Amino acid sequence: MVTRLPAGSLRQLGPATTFYAVFFGIPLMILFVLSFWTQQGFERVPDLTLRNYLDGLTDRLYLQVFLRTILVGLVTSFIVVPLAYVMAYLMRFTFERRGQLLLTLVLISLFSGYLVRIYAWRTILGTGGLLNTALMHLGLIAEPITALIFSPWAVMITLIGLLLPLALLPIWSSMANVSRDHLEAARDLGANGWRLHRTVLLPMVLPGVSTAFAIAFVLAAGDFVVPAMVGGTSGGTLVGNLIANQFRGSGADWPLGAALAFMIMALLVFVYLISVRLLRSVARW
Amino acid sequence: MDDRIRTLYDARLDRRTFLQGTAGAVALSVLGPRLVTRGQSLGGQLNFIGYDGEDARNVAKPFFEANGIQVNPTFIADAFEPLTRFQTGGRGQMDIVSDNKDFMRAVLDGGVEFFMPLDLTRIPNAAGLFEGLKTPSWLYRDGVTYGIPLIWGDEPCVFDPAVWDGPPARYTDFADPSWAGALVLVDDPIANTWLWATSLGFEQPNRLTQAQLDQTIDEMLKTKPNVVTFAATLGDQADVLIRGDATMAVGGWAYQILIAREKGVTLSSASPATDGTFFWSDAYSIALDAPNLDNAYAFIDFMMSPEANAAIASELGSACTIEAALPLVDPLVAALYPYDEVRAPGGVLDTQVVSPPTEDDGDIVGVARWQEAWQRFKLS
Repeated sequence: MVTRLPAGSLRQLGPATTFYAVFFGIPLMILFVLSFWTQQGFERVPDLTLRNYLDGLTDRLYLQVFLRTILVGLVTSFIVVPLAYVMAYLMRFTFERRGQLLLTLVLISLFSGYLVRIYAWRTILGTGGLLNTALMHLGLIAEPITALIFSPWAVMITLIGLLLPLALLPIWSSMANVSRDHLEAARDLGANGWRLHRTVLLPMVLPGVSTAFAIAFVLAAGDFVVPAMVGGTSGGTLVGNLIANQFRGSGADWPLGAALAFMIMALLVFVYLISVRLLRSVARW
Repeated sequence: MDDRIRTLYDARLDRRTFLQGTAGAVALSVLGPRLVTRGQSLGGQLNFIGYDGEDARNVAKPFFEANGIQVNPTFIADAFEPLTRFQTGGRGQMDIVSDNKDFMRAVLDGGVEFFMPLDLTRIPNAAGLFEGLKTPSWLYRDGVTYGIPLIWGDEPCVFDPAVWDGPPARYTDFADPSWAGALVLVDDPIANTWLWATSLGFEQPNRLTQAQLDQTIDEMLKTKPNVVTFAATLGDQADVLIRGDATMAVGGWAYQILIAREKGVTLSSASPATDGTFFWSDAYSIALDAPNLDNAYAFIDFMMSPEANAAIASELGSACTIEAALPLVDPLVAALYPYDEVRAPGGVLDTQVVSPPTEDDGDIVGVARWQEAWQRFKLS
């Protein structure tokens, strides 16, 4: 069946489409063209070479970072999305009257700057931070746990803290359209607990969950500030850091940076599509 | 939260970002109005591109106001950004460029079209530069000056004196397990590699063969288990020290001591006795085809007056470049820097070259190899 767009909808889409074409599509095309150029000293030389892509595919350093990036993105989003789902459920159905207030409280964290929030996590996770201080006061540890900060774990924890409000929004929005009657009817028919969520609620809010997954996965895998600020010597480099390094400082190589950007973009889209397909199969199962 | 520390949290930080609006503004609120002179052809726009703070928006405010100059600043995240902008449509739109010594040396050595030869008769205050900064090797070619030094300093080790007496004699000594969990380095491939190459005794630590570069990285890897983190900037490095997450900053900034003092934390600084450290300097230049040439010259000349130069050095926690400015610099800041290095030509600022060649030069590997080696070091 072919769905026809309502009359005038193309005209309404015009401004947004034009904006994206000019400020996203064209720069992306320029970057794509650049990825086939070469860098010679300070100059970028027009060329038509696949060398930058081949370097990215064959260099063990880049492959290692690609793998780590995908892993961080997946682990982070597989923690963030269920957490956001549970929070949205509680706010929508358990604490319905206070749901809006709870949502506002969660979203307040977005009102502060991105760097400020990262530094706040440093304050919590640091050697002399809130968590270590609390654990020492409670007598649970004698010495501060230094592994809390400047480690791959610190990157994950910080990303989860930063992305949770963003993942919550689309799931909450989907659940807001689900009537309590649907859930009651399902319960009357014997669907409780996990089955209720898997066969009734999750399929209904799947678009919101997929969007939350996309947000969490792409932002976590694409972040280069959090790894640099809390990743330390073992978790401080994701592919975003490698790409950023190609666009700044002495030794910058824009064509290589552009090629790496397109490679990770393709990889992220691929992993995202597979993940969403898996999610859908779970929801139907 | 203290405004200066807020700046640290909110901004990409380096040594130039601190203290804007405090010391310098105070100094110029008293001294500034006396310094303002109205040039006949001044007024209009002045396009600045360079490090945050070096636009002197506080220090030069009276000058801008009295001469009807509106400054359009563009702040950079790395030294090569002005050149990138210049080469990608920015030519004819830049006036003042403020950048660092190694970048300027690389541009001039590479014969890259970017800086305009300066007419020193239009910057009479430059005559007051320290002798060692009048014809510096990184700004001077064939009798022509391409830039005027604004500030300078070094990058010693900054440490918690309650934990350490000081750094070891050599950077390679940081590999000793006693330094475990103590070190914080800045994420800077050039500076760190250069320090360790110096420590290994290479004659020209900025000109390494691939084997020498590999040897340097291998030596750095012995130290890596003792490193807590690679700080994004010098400001971030100060933050790590102040929070107590590390106790020894390698390649730090003496001004971190004063930042820590404001937070009630005591730090000290010293350089490894045998290896020493490297020195930096930032300078003002004028881009080719600058559209507001009169304003640019007048601005540089104003900033080379003893009062303005002392104020900007105090504001940015750095060393001044005008000899008569030294008595006017905040004494706490002035005490941080070894001024004997610039009192005569041929000091360490002049002779020390930190940046590797921009491209491979025979057996000598270029900066891209250094970047790659640093990434491998970080990922190993």
